[in-house]
Parts: sequence; C-alpha cells; structure tokens
Amino acid sequence: MTTSHHLNGDSMPAITTLDELYAYLDSAMQLEHATIPPYLTALYSIRPGTNSDAYHVLRVTVVEEMLHLTLVANLLNAVGGTPDLTVAGFVPDYPAYLPDGERDFQVSCARFSRESLGTFLEIERPRQAPDEQSRLIDRGPARRGRLGSAPGNNQLQYYSIGEFYQEISRGLHYLHDLLGDALFCGDPTRQVGSEYFYSGGGAIVPVSDLRSAEAAIDLICEQGEGFGGGIFDSEGELAHYYRFQQLVLGRYYQERDSRDHPSGPHIEVDWDAAYPIKQNAHLADYPADSEVAAAAIAFNTSYAGFLDLLTRAYGGRPELLLDAVTEMFRLRDQMTRLIHNPIPGLDGVNAAPTFEVSVHLAGVAS
Amino acid sequence: MTGPRQLDGSRRLEDFLAFSAEATAFTVFELRGTGQSQAYLNTCDGIVGTEVTDCLLDRYDAARSAVVASESTLPELLRRDILSDPQLGPVARNIAKMWFVGVWYELPRAWTEAFGAREGNATFVVSTQSYTEGLLWPAIGANPPGAKAPGFGSWAHPPRIPVFP
Repeated sequence: MTTSHHLNGDSMPAITTLDELYAYLDSAMQLEHATIPPYLTALYSIRPGTNSDAYHVLRVTVVEEMLHLTLVANLLNAVGGTPDLTVAGFVPDYPAYLPDGERDFQVSCARFSRESLGTFLEIERPRQAPDEQSRLIDRGPARRGRLGSAPGNNQLQYYSIGEFYQEISRGLHYLHDLLGDALFCGDPTRQVGSEYFYSGGGAIVPVSDLRSAEAAIDLICEQGEGFGGGIFDSEGELAHYYRFQQLVLGRYYQERDSRDHPSGPHIEVDWDAAYPIKQNAHLADYPADSEVAAAAIAFNTSYAGFLDLLTRAYGGRPELLLDAVTEMFRLRDQMTRLIHNPIPGLDGVNAAPTFEVSVHLAGVAS
Repeated sequence: MTGPRQLDGSRRLEDFLAFSAEATAFTVFELRGTGQSQAYLNTCDGIVGTEVTDCLLDRYDAARSAVVASESTLPELLRRDILSDPQLGPVARNIAKMWFVGVWYELPRAWTEAFGAREGNATFVVSTQSYTEGLLWPAIGANPPGAKAPGFGSWAHPPRIPVFP
C-alpha cells in the first residue's frame, strides 16, 4: 500500500467504533483465509516431480497468506477482539468474489493452469482507487462469497484489498486519536510471536501499539503488492503479484528489474502437468458411497478441526500453532490423495477437497 | 482377455489397481493417492513384459469370478493361483513390495533361469517420488526420513496408524 495511512480529505472513516473495527478485522481474517484454499488446490494439483519452480512460488505465497492471517489475528487480539475461524460462513462457498477495481471477479478452487494464475494475479494486483468516492463500489445485490465488502453491507465492496486495509488503518488512527493507547487493551499473552510462528514467510509482528499495528498492515499489503509502487517489499522480497507474473512470463525477476520486465533466468512451466480436477468441487459432485466422497468428508472434518485449533491458538494458546503445523501436513496428504483420484463416473475428471466445513455434517447424512 | 485389456489403457490400470489393493491391503483410493499407479504398472510392464502382467491380471480376474461359487476365500485362491505360481508369484510379490517401498527388486535367479533374463531387471528405486510415497510410511504411521516433514515436535505424539479392514 503506497498511500498515506492517515485520514485523507474530509470524509469520516468507515470505522468509528471498536465494534466496527472488530467487524472489519473479522472480515480481514476471512479475506486472508479465503485465498488459501485456491492457492493450495492449484499447488497440490501439480503432478509430483514436475513444475518445481511453480510449485515453490505457490508454496511460498500460500505460507505468506498464513502469516497474514496470523498478523490479522494479532491485530484483532491487540484491540481486545476475539478471532473466530469457526463462525458460519468463515470459509466461502467457492467461487468467491474478490474486488479488482471497477469490477469484482471470481476466485475458484481449480487446477494449476494459465487461467488460475491469471486469477491469482488479479487477487494480488496493486490497485489504488482513483478518488475518494470510488473507494467503495456498489456491486449490486448481496451475494455469497463476496469478500472485502463493508461489514454489514455486502453490497458495497472496496475497490481493492489495499483499499480495504487502508480503511482499517484509518479506523485504527481515528480510534487511537479518540481513545489513546487504551485502544490496545488486548491481553499481550494472546499475541503470536516468533517462538510459535517460524519459517512462515517473514517475521511475525506482535501488535501492542499503533506503530506495530501499522507494521503488521504494511507487511500484509507489501507482501501482496510491493512497497512504494515497486516490485519488492521493504524486506527486499518479491511481492506476490510479481512472483506469479514470473510464471506467466516465464522468467524470474532480478534486482533492479522494472515491473512487467523480468530479466532473470528462464522458468520452464509445464501447464499440462497438473491433475484435471473438478473446479470448485462440492460433495454433491461425488457419488454418495464412493471412496472419494468419504475422503472429501474426512478432509472437511479435518479442516473444520484445524480451523477450531487455530481459533484456540489465536485465543490465548499460541503454543498450539506447533500442533497446527503437524495438522497442516496431514491436510496436505489428505488433499493430494483426493486430487490424485478420478471421480467415479466422470471420465477424466479428478476429485478435489471441497472445503465445505459448515456442511460436512449434512454431507455425512446424505 | 489380453486383447481388450491391451486396447484399453485405463481398464488395464484399473485391473492393476484392483489386484494391487488385494496384494497390499490398501484401498484403490489410497493407491491412486500416491500418484504412482501408472509408474508402477509401467515398471512392471517394462521388466517382465505386458504379456506376463496381463496373465497375472487375468488370473486375478478369474479368481474374483471363481470365488463366488467356490468354498475358498479370495486370499486362498490368490495364494494358490498366483502366489504359488512359479512365474506369476515372484512378479506379484514384486508388485506388493513396489507399493510399499517404491523399489523394484531384482527377480530371483530361479525366475530368470526358468522364464528368461529380462533387460533392466535389477533392484532400483522407481522414481524420486516413489520412496516418499511408499505405503510403508502410512502403514507404520511415520514419515519417510528426509522427506514429507511432519512438523517440529510431531514425534512427541503417538503415530496414527490406519485401520485395515
């Protein structure tokens, strides 16, 4: 995010109360999480032993999204909120709808392909609203899976993810002017620090005051979009948008490259070397008594348990994140088994995890 | 039976997986989940030839049909008709071992003396993935050393061993 975090112009910030700040940060957690299933699905659809460059680019990016999720949890805890990844609707019913300037676009759980990379570029694209009035856009009737919208009004969506975080930043400043350091009244033992978040795509920032809150937001935005309009973040890491762009352009960026013109080593991408999985698969796509259905239900149960574990970790037991890492590896194995299996009765279409955590009990019953 | 099977690659793979499920006690879903099915079938074909592989798959088909009217169980029929067969037995055992450890083992000398030497019939790891995807690891609830890292401190927890039918 490249603009000033401070109040611009005369307009009131959208966040003027603590409850509004909580609602925005709840939405931010949902937004950060929502990118993880599509990234993981594309990542694990890559055929083993192929596309090692693409595999690593996707993997590093998804790990950084997990960092962002934890950073938002730290923000929410710092201001006395309660992160909850188990509320109904926390995981979108894919396709989800994310903002990209004048329009929104669909984000699907799909195989690794040029098309899915195109979507990932849109997720991470740096976009700044041209003027104050266009920061919030009326996208029409409320719809499921719309992310980055104004809490309480699903019809109004922010121009971009950057603008959404800009609003949170404005709200933090507004409330800090109002309440002083009492804004950061959260229990410091609920902060996740580096002892429980390691090798996780950058340094975790415990949040205890306005400065650390800004640092957390800056890290989230820069890792996605780059710092100060450049292609690198302030730690010298290539931003997500440009990492993905390397795969599409077939070349690595190197130091001093300008945007859209990577001049580093060539990257070989084998776009065909991915399992042909069902896009946005749902349990209803699988024959009821099939092993694929049983495995998809088992995955959803594990995933629901995992979100519950994260909720407890963010709720004052950060040491549980060590167990969560173990759980992530199990989830990976469950995902790859599904993706390697064809859906019975559908010629040449493979299964995929459905991430229907709220409906997994209904799935068992059917 | 060899004719149609040779014409239809996916049917052939399905038969190979059905036999492999019987030989390993893992389900077809779990076998496919390793991502190694085609690599193992290709390895078997490449060493012993498609005719021997097809003969084994035919024998398995026949046992599955026969078990309905037989007093014997399927494992008994397989022991008698495949595992005790001088040509098919060692190949069947090699397939099971391949699934568990990702390695093709050199066929015993008695086999090559009786049925002829085969090019490439040496002990080798099938692919860089086959070691990490070996069924041995889930069978004992462990991760392959040096691969599939299970997370710091996970060794403090008891292994999760799958339930076999």
